[in-house]
Amino acid sequence: MEIRKFVFKRLIEIFVIFFVILTVLFLLFRLAPGDPVTRMVDPTMTPEDAAHLIAQLGLDQPIWLQYIYYLKNFFTGNFGISFHYGVAVLSIILNRLPNTILLFSTSIVLSAFAGIFLGKIASWHKGKKIDTWMTLGALICHTLFLPWLALIMIWIFGFHVGWFPLNGMITPEIWLDSSSGFWLKFLDIAHHMVLPLATLFLIHFGSYLLLMRSSMLDTLKEDYILTARAKGLTEKVIRNHHAAPNAALPVVTSVGISLAFSLSGGALTETVFSWPGIGRELVFAVSNSDYPLAQASFLLIATVVLISNLVVDVLYAYLDPRIKY
Amino acid sequence: MKRKLLLFSQIFIILLLLLSCGKQQDHRFLKIGLHEEPKTLNIWLASDANSKKILSLIYQPLYLRDPETLNLIPWLADGEPKYHPDTISYTVRLKPAKWSDGSDVTSKDVAFTAAIIKEFRVPRYYSSWKFIKKIETPDNHTVRFYLEKPKAIFLTRTLTSSIVSTKEWSDIAQAARTKQKPLIALINHKIEKPMGCGPFVIKKWHRGTYVHLQKNRYFFGLGQDIGGRILGPYVNDLLFKVYGTADVAVLALKKGSIDMFLWGIQPGYIDDLKRQKNIRIFYSKKSAVYFMGFNLRSLPFSDVSLRRAIAVLIDKEFIISRILQNYGTRMDSIVPPGNKYWFCSDVPRYGEGMNRNDRIKTAYHILQKAGYTWETPPVDGSGRVVPGKGIRLPNGQLMEKFTILTPPADYDPLRAMSGMMIQEWLRAFGMPALSRPMAFGALLTQIKGRHEFDAFILGYGRLSMDPDYLRNFFLSANDKERGWNISGYKNPEFDHLAEKSTSEMNRELRKKLIFKMQKIIMRDVPYIPIYDPALIEAVRKDTFTDWVETLDGIGNLWSFCLVKPNPDKTGQKNF
Amino acid sequence: MTENGSIQISNGNKKTPKKFPMVERFLEGWSVYKENLIGKIGLTLLIIFALMALCSFFPPMIDPMYHPMTGVDPLISHSTSPSWRHWLGTDFIGRDIFCQLLAGARIAFMVGISAAFMSILLGTAIGMIAGYSRKIVDTLLMRLADMIMVMPTLLVVLILSSLFGQLNIWTIVLLIALFRWPGVSRVIRAQTLSLKERPFIEAAKVAGASHFRIIFRHIMPNVLPLSLLYMTFRVTSAIIIEAALAFLGFGDPSTVSWGMMLQWVWKTGHMFQAPYWLLPPGICISLLTLSFYMLGRAMEEVLDPRLRKEVAQE
Repeated sequence: MEIRKFVFKRLIEIFVIFFVILTVLFLLFRLAPGDPVTRMVDPTMTPEDAAHLIAQLGLDQPIWLQYIYYLKNFFTGNFGISFHYGVAVLSIILNRLPNTILLFSTSIVLSAFAGIFLGKIASWHKGKKIDTWMTLGALICHTLFLPWLALIMIWIFGFHVGWFPLNGMITPEIWLDSSSGFWLKFLDIAHHMVLPLATLFLIHFGSYLLLMRSSMLDTLKEDYILTARAKGLTEKVIRNHHAAPNAALPVVTSVGISLAFSLSGGALTETVFSWPGIGRELVFAVSNSDYPLAQASFLLIATVVLISNLVVDVLYAYLDPRIKY
Repeated sequence: MKRKLLLFSQIFIILLLLLSCGKQQDHRFLKIGLHEEPKTLNIWLASDANSKKILSLIYQPLYLRDPETLNLIPWLADGEPKYHPDTISYTVRLKPAKWSDGSDVTSKDVAFTAAIIKEFRVPRYYSSWKFIKKIETPDNHTVRFYLEKPKAIFLTRTLTSSIVSTKEWSDIAQAARTKQKPLIALINHKIEKPMGCGPFVIKKWHRGTYVHLQKNRYFFGLGQDIGGRILGPYVNDLLFKVYGTADVAVLALKKGSIDMFLWGIQPGYIDDLKRQKNIRIFYSKKSAVYFMGFNLRSLPFSDVSLRRAIAVLIDKEFIISRILQNYGTRMDSIVPPGNKYWFCSDVPRYGEGMNRNDRIKTAYHILQKAGYTWETPPVDGSGRVVPGKGIRLPNGQLMEKFTILTPPADYDPLRAMSGMMIQEWLRAFGMPALSRPMAFGALLTQIKGRHEFDAFILGYGRLSMDPDYLRNFFLSANDKERGWNISGYKNPEFDHLAEKSTSEMNRELRKKLIFKMQKIIMRDVPYIPIYDPALIEAVRKDTFTDWVETLDGIGNLWSFCLVKPNPDKTGQKNF
Repeated sequence: MTENGSIQISNGNKKTPKKFPMVERFLEGWSVYKENLIGKIGLTLLIIFALMALCSFFPPMIDPMYHPMTGVDPLISHSTSPSWRHWLGTDFIGRDIFCQLLAGARIAFMVGISAAFMSILLGTAIGMIAGYSRKIVDTLLMRLADMIMVMPTLLVVLILSSLFGQLNIWTIVLLIALFRWPGVSRVIRAQTLSLKERPFIEAAKVAGASHFRIIFRHIMPNVLPLSLLYMTFRVTSAIIIEAALAFLGFGDPSTVSWGMMLQWVWKTGHMFQAPYWLLPPGICISLLTLSFYMLGRAMEEVLDPRLRKEVAQE
């Protein structure tokens, strides 16, 4: 079957790209100026101590040997030990990953749905006031600078109004109290999630709205819509059951395509809100020169992007009979 | 369906808002705010301040500094160490003490600590233990240290080093020995619940958010009179909460979510905090030095006259009053004035009390005498001060543009700002100075690793009480890649005094040597010490009292052992 | 939809390459542009920002205390609210915020336009070569483009900045350009592909023109308007990436950009106390982004007659 061959070809490509990124990262990190040991300012660490540590970290071996170890480790699931935390990189990533998935997927789903729903309405009332306002609003929201929006959210809703916590994912007092039930903890996380979610939502739903709107306008011109009208179906039915599902298609695929953009935004959001996720960890790792952790986090993000692009392409092919591979 | 969804979301939102109203607290937690998450609970890996702080509540040293006198007093040890000059050894007796699992602390644990550090060459600890030839344990509570040669830092650094238990670490060490990289295996071993004999033990570390400690009922100091104080701890639970930014932490302090913030507070917050009824502000001196350093290996800063002239031109009073907003002290020696015993006040005080014109004139005379010339001298024929231009070295060359490297403004606004001011002062004098902020990691690599720099503004925020760093910073032998002699200072007279001072066990004699060393350094100024910032800390008055003030702040071990819940409070708190 | 959120109506986008001289086309385009409200607003905003950028040179000449980086007010050394002396107040070490804002505008334009220009150069060249060349070269280049396009640019530059320790503003510009060209190249390639089959290209080939000459003499002038269009979108993403980098603390510490200003207000703990410091930089970034976007949209309508018809019908 055509699709199967296509998927297979793409998987090979993804593997190659992955390998290239892996190697490039390795080379870049090894050849970079400076090493993590230089950052330890403590006057009690003598140069001999530092040399000893570097030798132990294996940073003094020839490059090609390091590369072999690097590849071997990688494919056996050993992503190294974080220079900063001193524990396995994998354990840190596994610890942070669920937090990012929670925040990220919720925000994408919410903004996609809202974008589709509101875009539909905007297109329906094209030219009227509601359409102008919606489009303008979406445009403005989309061009807001994300970290700034995050700061404003914290300032207004966390500080002035005080409804929401200022940062973090949980309230320690609730979690270390053994009498706190599951629902209380669940609500606590939800409570902390509101502001970061709102920030991500505002930034993303605008583009989905605009896309849905123009997509709907195009779809409504299609022949089969005319047919439906001729058949005597009500406008509401036409809009919701015939046009919208087809118009939503480009939006869904654009979610995948703009994933890279969303991931960058996710890292920024996590940093400002101190949400303990992969994005924030990547930023920390970079500023601490914690190469193993930075590397692994980046690879994870790259993999997610590559795989999701593949999924989007397949989905598109599946859903839109016009596309042939 | 849509209506149900609406209803559900409305209830959800109401519940969320209710949460923000806070929950009643029954028990009395001491809540401390942390600026950054601690790195690790493995003592051999802990290099960051927060990990070290938490571990200092767990693992204990033999001797500790008294908060008022700063003298070493017996802590885990019992009585002063006895010196035996013929064998160059010290005998130390131990107090009866238990580890947190109830087992006894014995002299074997001390010997074991030394053995591990020496065998694995653990960084940061090795230099304090490597000169110990052997350790004898005649009985369970007596330890005898045999030194290869007399070492002054034995008393101040080795005896203040944390002691770990054989029980906790011997298996780990054994496993690490078999690995290809034993040190890495040792320092990367995951420690969930470190076993110490200190006032607290770890209950839970929820990564990214908080660390929860509880009182250790086996703490040897519980209820004991040590150093004239009856120790607790008088709190059952410690909660260290991690805040990403100082802003949020200060807010939490005002709201009562934390009782104390374990990180200096910037002067900008003080006015606001002073207005709060429930907040008390502590001002402590720090054992720190912030200075301008030079590269003596090449022109132009290989000339001591130039360095002295710059020392005069730097208006330290301006920096302290304007940049530090008066929360700091002027420094004239590498040893901070707060280190009362070792600080030598009889050093040249460049530019003290001078106004701008006097500075320029004095610096002008220094350089004129040394053979410098100008296109436009900063002091004209009639003795008036004018903007100088185009300074020339004694050999006739025009002085090349030089860079003063500083950390970025967000990392440390004080240093960045000082750099900018110094640039302006030097430019007005005719020197082609440029102050350049640089990312901290890159900065260190540049100056420590590659020695490629002209001048820089750096600081050591946590200097040890023992002034051995003075030797480290300026010893000729330490002028190597990643060595501590960053400036490239080479002076045989200084080297001789420095070596003598490491083996001088008599405190008074050593003090004389250290004083001489300070005088030499300040005469030659390879570093110009500028300021010692005050440490500003804020606590809630209404919840806990009896914080102990000492050098380097109130977040010290004594405070944690002595802090008591305020009896007026009835135990209600918000988040 | 591309990463910066611009809407591309890409199905069946056929353009007839105009053979009129450049100037006439420009004037014609301008008359259409004038009708467009969005374009007018966008252009106005842009002009305001450009003026800001130009004015950034003046304050330090008036008084050294107005220098954005090293300007120190002898009387003020902490953050104060707006006053006659300092129109937007001062930052945490007494520097004038308004001057920083002006300097930020200058940096934004510099970064945005340089990065965009470089990425357009790269993207157009590669797109033309890919469209014109044989299948292998084409596939290779496009695969490379795909690979680079999916990567989150911010995170890539972040990783790279950790390697070099410290990034200089021009390095940042170069890195941004290196990761932003794929989007352009795809469109240019598509355009080149369709142009390749045109008779006038055939004629040139028959006349013996070299490939190089064909690409640069015949194809390039026709794809150039498209390139310029895309440049506006590239500018916004370059500005945002630089701002985000500076915000996170990985920018060039010796430049005062809007992102850097936000970093200062955040990290020095003035977020809650100094709205006069928190609001202006963010508003500027958003407005500048918005204005370029509006400009781009209006230009799209100028260049695509199909969109124009939609305007007429509305």
